[in-house]
Parts: sequence; structure tokens; C-alpha cells
Amino acid sequence: MKRLRAWFLAPTWTVMLSLFAAPLAIILAYSFLTRGTWGGLTRPWSTESYQRLADPIYLGILWRSFWIAGAATVLCLVLGFPLALFISRAGNRKNLYLSLVILPFWTSFLVRTYAWMFLLRDTGLINTVLQKLGLIHNPLPLLYNDGAVILGLVYGYLPFMVLPLYATLERLDRNLLEAAADLGAKPWVALTRVVIPLSAPGIRAGAILVFIPCLGAYLTPDLLGGGKTVMIGNLIQNQFTTARDWPFGSAVSLTLMAIVLVLLLVFVRRQEGGLV
Amino acid sequence: MNRRYFLMGAAGLAACSRDRRARLNVFNWSDYIAPDTIPKFEAEYGVRVRYGIYESNEEMLARVMGGNSGWDVVFPTDYIVKPMLANDLLAQVHREELPDLAQLEPRFQKPEWDPELKWSVPYMVIAAGIAYNRKLNPPPRTWADMWDERLRGRMTMLDDPFDVIGACLKKLGLSVNSSDPGELRRAQAEAIRQKPLLRAYLNAEVRDQLVSGDVLAAHMWNTTAQQAMDSSPDIGFAYPEEGYAVYPDCAVILRESKRPELAHKFLHFLLRPDIAAANALAARTTTTNAGARKILPPAFRDNPTLYPGPDVIARGEWAKTTDPAAQRLRDRLWTEIKSA
Repeated sequence: MKRLRAWFLAPTWTVMLSLFAAPLAIILAYSFLTRGTWGGLTRPWSTESYQRLADPIYLGILWRSFWIAGAATVLCLVLGFPLALFISRAGNRKNLYLSLVILPFWTSFLVRTYAWMFLLRDTGLINTVLQKLGLIHNPLPLLYNDGAVILGLVYGYLPFMVLPLYATLERLDRNLLEAAADLGAKPWVALTRVVIPLSAPGIRAGAILVFIPCLGAYLTPDLLGGGKTVMIGNLIQNQFTTARDWPFGSAVSLTLMAIVLVLLLVFVRRQEGGLV
Repeated sequence: MNRRYFLMGAAGLAACSRDRRARLNVFNWSDYIAPDTIPKFEAEYGVRVRYGIYESNEEMLARVMGGNSGWDVVFPTDYIVKPMLANDLLAQVHREELPDLAQLEPRFQKPEWDPELKWSVPYMVIAAGIAYNRKLNPPPRTWADMWDERLRGRMTMLDDPFDVIGACLKKLGLSVNSSDPGELRRAQAEAIRQKPLLRAYLNAEVRDQLVSGDVLAAHMWNTTAQQAMDSSPDIGFAYPEEGYAVYPDCAVILRESKRPELAHKFLHFLLRPDIAAANALAARTTTTNAGARKILPPAFRDNPTLYPGPDVIARGEWAKTTDPAAQRLRDRLWTEIKSA
């Protein structure tokens, strides 16, 4: 029986080892090598790439990435919570609404980000309509700033917030709300003292699912930020492309992974009974 | 699908892979060849070509660096040729098999990155200047015009460290290839001073915004500018008076290639004036081939964006390989500009 189980797990192990563990080991090795004269890698082994990370400029980029990813996560929560609550009470339309939340995934993220560029441009839909209505005279600078980057991230990752929130809110016992009302709680008090505390696992799961990919984002800051904002993902990308400094790029990637891992551990610790 | 059809399909696949014709693997920049060049080559030489495209030198370099990429011919920019040679990636070009090398313009006969053309064959050449909306009066003529307060929020620079730092160096009257830390720092200060005036750092994607009028002036490659001018009569292009960077792209044969003779036949084919002319016309670029230039349609060959006069050509400066220390400093300065 045990042997059979081992056989069934073999494909999973093979995939994990060859596509996850091995590349990670390669990146780890790269991060301790030296940049070759013309790019590429040479010896000696050194920890120089990690020492460079202590430089204030890279810490600044890291801080900025945390700030932008954090803002996007908070906005996703603010927008996603009412939506999830609404869907969980939508009766037989639940499935329709859930499909609508997932619908954007049918198109590539890149294409959808380009669509935002067409909406936000000076001659884009939003500015054109506002100007036609006479509300503004000069186009608003909607594209190529931090606001546009955060907007793009919120748009892209909102479903990752809504789905876990929906899962917890859907299981919420309605009797508890009735009990709260019977005991004199106004709807607002019932929401803050009953619904939100009970949906904490969903909020945590959603926050993790949104924050981590936002932290490593590089496409959105590039396209909607117009290359004027650097996030940690752009720094890594740049090391593997124009800068041709693979050891440093590897070191930054691994450091980012380590930070994310520590954050995850802290979150999971706080929570009895696992992640979701 | 039942088993019989599956087996027939498998047999079909096997038949494909047994195609007796030799196969050449060509890896080129996107939109950098005429659509019928490859079919013509296949028909004339009775071979097959696997054609792949890339978007940057770094992307290509990352693929071929290991020495078993499966490509035979690739197209690095001039300053990438030396690093490729240093990494033992290139096979020597046999000049005697390429009689049409004599067709190249004189300035590409003995280029400084490969004076004897032993390793590379110049293909097409790109230059970086300023594309602008003709509404702008006076039109931009110098790099310094890209620091004009009146253009605040309506102009873009390329999202490329060599191009941006190069433009700043030229504004200061220095070489785009400078590796002097003091000069590079001064160039960086210019870039940081300019950043608040910029809408964004954008590459080819700025073309649509230039045509739509969102952007009035853009640091741009002449080939992208030509595409914008093809779609709108309102666009002009200027080669800044302080000078500008020029990027010749070359065809090279990889050392790993198992078909160097066929690769030479392909290079020979690309050098043929009729083929080179068709490629330049389709890609909207500047050919390095004087024979090709002669047979291009006059309206195309005389347009000043792609084929400027000798005085403008004299202001151009070829991009060179930066030494590792300067490269690292430039990367650092670029990161600082971007996070300023």
C-alpha cells in the first residue's frame, strides 16, 4: 500500500523537483557567483551581491514596493468586502456573479492592462467624456503615475480578494446576525463586531493572495507607471536584461522570496488552524 | 479520436520530421525582414528555415549564451559583437563566400567593432533622435529642447539606460560612449532634472500616443518614427544638433551552428541588393547596402528620417561596448534616475 502511494506521488515529486527545486537551486548558486566581464557568470564565489542590497537605494525601492502593494491590498479589501458580502447573499444568482468576477481571467493580463492605457490616456475614453461634458478643460494626468499603478494592481488582483472572502462569508451562520439584532445591535455594529471578526480568515487569505503578487509585480508599474516608478520586480528584470548582472538579480529575487516567506509564517502563526 | 486516426497522425508527424531538406535556424529582431524573404530563400536553395524573433539584444544573448541554443544566424547590435566574440559564441565569416560585401556602404566596410568583417555582416542601422508633432513651433532641434518647461508632461524619453544617458551626454557635448565616472554623473544629473518634465519613459509603444497627439515630442528610434510618419502627416523627426547614437545591427553565424555553409548562403542572400532593398522597405529601416539603396523607390530612399544627408550622418556616433566597470556604474545611475 505504501509503495503504491509512493508511485502515485512520483509524478508530483518529479515536477516539483525539476521545475521548482532545481531552478531555485540554480538561482541560489547564481546569487553567490560573480558577474562575468560581458555578462554571464564567473567565479569566485562571493556574497557581494547580497552586500550590495544593503545600499539605501535598493532599500528605498523595497520600501516603495511594500507601500504600493500594501495600498493595493487595502483598496482590494475595501472594494472586495462589500462585493463578496453582496454575492454571498445573492441567492440563486450567486453563480452568475461569481462567474462575472472570474470573467476577466479569460483574457490575458497584458491585454487588459493595455486596455487601461487606452482608457486613461489624454485622448482616452475617460478624459474625452469628461471634456465633452465640459467638466474639465485640460485632460487629467491619469496615466503614468503611482495612482495608475495601484489602480492596475487593484483591478488585476481584486478577484483574489473576493473569492476567499466569499468563501468565508457564505459559510457565515445567519442566525448569529439575527441574534445580534435581537440583542439590540444596529446593522453597523453587527457588521463590525460579528461579520468582520468572523470573516478574518478570509480577509487574511485574500490579503496574502493579493499582497504577494503585487509585491513582485513588474508589468503593471512598467506599462501604467510609464517606467517612472521602479518596483522590486522591475529591478530584478533589469538585472537579467540591460544590466546583465545575473548574480545581483538572483540575490534580489531570493531576498524577496525570503521576505515573503517570513511574512507568510508570521501570518500563519497568528492564525489557529491553518491558512484559510 | 480513435486509435487508427491517432496512429495516422503519429505517422504524419514522423514523416514531417523526416523532411530531407536541410534546416537553417534564424533568430532575428521582430519586424526586421520582408515577409517574402524567407519563402524566397527556401524556394531558391531548397531548404527549410525555422525563423524566431526577439525584442532585445539581452533576450537574444540570454538564449545563445549557453552555446546550445539551436540557432544558426542571429542579429546582434554592433556593441554586442565583441562580448559575443569574447564568450566564444561566434564563427568566423568567410569573406570569399560573400562577394556582395562590396555592396556595403563605405562606412560599413571597415567598421570599428569588426574592421575586417571577420565575424559580422552589417545588416541594417537604427538611430535615436526626436520625433515630434508638427504643431510644435519652433520644432525641437536639439537635445536641450527636451528640457523645455513648455513641454512638461507632453514628452517622453526611451526606456533604455544607454539611450537616455547617451542623450544626456550628448546634451553636455560628450560622447555617448563615455565611461568617465564624472561625465556619467553629470549626465545623470541632467536626467534627474528632466524627469519631472517627462510624461513617461516609453519605447516603441509611444508611437500611438504621438500620432494621437497626447505626446508632442518623443525620444525615438528613427524606424519607429518612420512608422508613425507613415500613419500620420503631422509627425516630424529631428537628428539633434549635438549628435546622436547610431546602432548598426549585424548578422552573425554562431559557433554552435552545424550548418555554417548554409548560414553563409543565407548571409549571401541577405546581402543581395534586391533582397536587402525589400527588407529595408518592409521594415521601414536604413539599409547598410549601397547597392540596395540604389534600387529603393526614390520617395523612400530620399526621406531624411531614414536616409539623412552626409552632414547629419557625420553627427552620429556608433554605440560601443562599455567596459564592465562603466557598465555597472551606468546601471547604478539608471536605477537612481528611475527611483528619483
